[in-house]
Amino acid sequence: MNLFRSEEHAGRWLEHYGYKAGATITAGQLCDLAHAWWSDRLEPDWRPHTRDKNQAILERLGLTGEFWQLP
Amino acid sequence: MDEGDLRIRNHVYRRFVELGRAPTFAELKDELGDDVESALRRLHDAHALVLEPNRTEIRMANPFSAVPTPYRVEADGRSWYGNCAWDAFGIPAALHVDGHASSACPDCGEPIEIDIRDGRPVPDEHVFHVAVPAAHWWDDIVFT
Repeated sequence: MNLFRSEEHAGRWLEHYGYKAGATITAGQLCDLAHAWWSDRLEPDWRPHTRDKNQAILERLGLTGEFWQLP
Repeated sequence: MDEGDLRIRNHVYRRFVELGRAPTFAELKDELGDDVESALRRLHDAHALVLEPNRTEIRMANPFSAVPTPYRVEADGRSWYGNCAWDAFGIPAALHVDGHASSACPDCGEPIEIDIRDGRPVPDEHVFHVAVPAAHWWDDIVFT
C-alpha cells in the first residue's frame, strides 16, 4: 500500500518488480478512507468494526467490485 | 473480545500515543500483570493489534507501526510511523488533529511531503496503490 507521485510512477514501479496491478485511488480518497476507517481507533468505547461496517465504508467511498470485497 | 481484553487493547493504544512508540512487553507486563501475554495473543488473533512473529512484542497497533517504515507522520507535536500510506493518513484521523506525512515515491525516490489539514491532503496530487485484494489483506498483514 504505497503512495506514488502519479499513476505513471505507480505503473512503472509495478512493471519493474513484476507485480500485478491492484487498485489506485487519489490521495483525497485515501484521506476519506483513513478518516472513516481509523477515526474511532483511540476512543475509550472503541469496539472492533464488523466486517459489514468496514464493507459499508468502502462502498460509501465508491470502492466497490471484487477487489474491494472483504472476506 | 471481552471487556478485559478491550481494556488491555485500549491501554496499549493509549501508551503508544503517550510514548510515541510501542510499549514493550516488559512494560505492559509491569503495568497490567502476568495475564497480559495471553490477552495480547487473543488480540492478535482478533486482528485488534499485531505481534511480532513468535514473540509478544507489538509490531502494529494500526494505524501505528512499532518499527520504522517509509511513512513518517508528525501530528500533535509528536511523530510516529504508519504501517503504510493508509495508516499514515490514519494517524492524524485517529488523533483528530492535522498532521504531516513524509515518504518517498517508490518508483523514483522523490520525497513526498503531504500536509493533512482538516482531513484533506495538501497537495492533493499523489496516488495510492493497493496491491493486495481486500479479501487477502490479513493473509500477510505486514506485506499488505
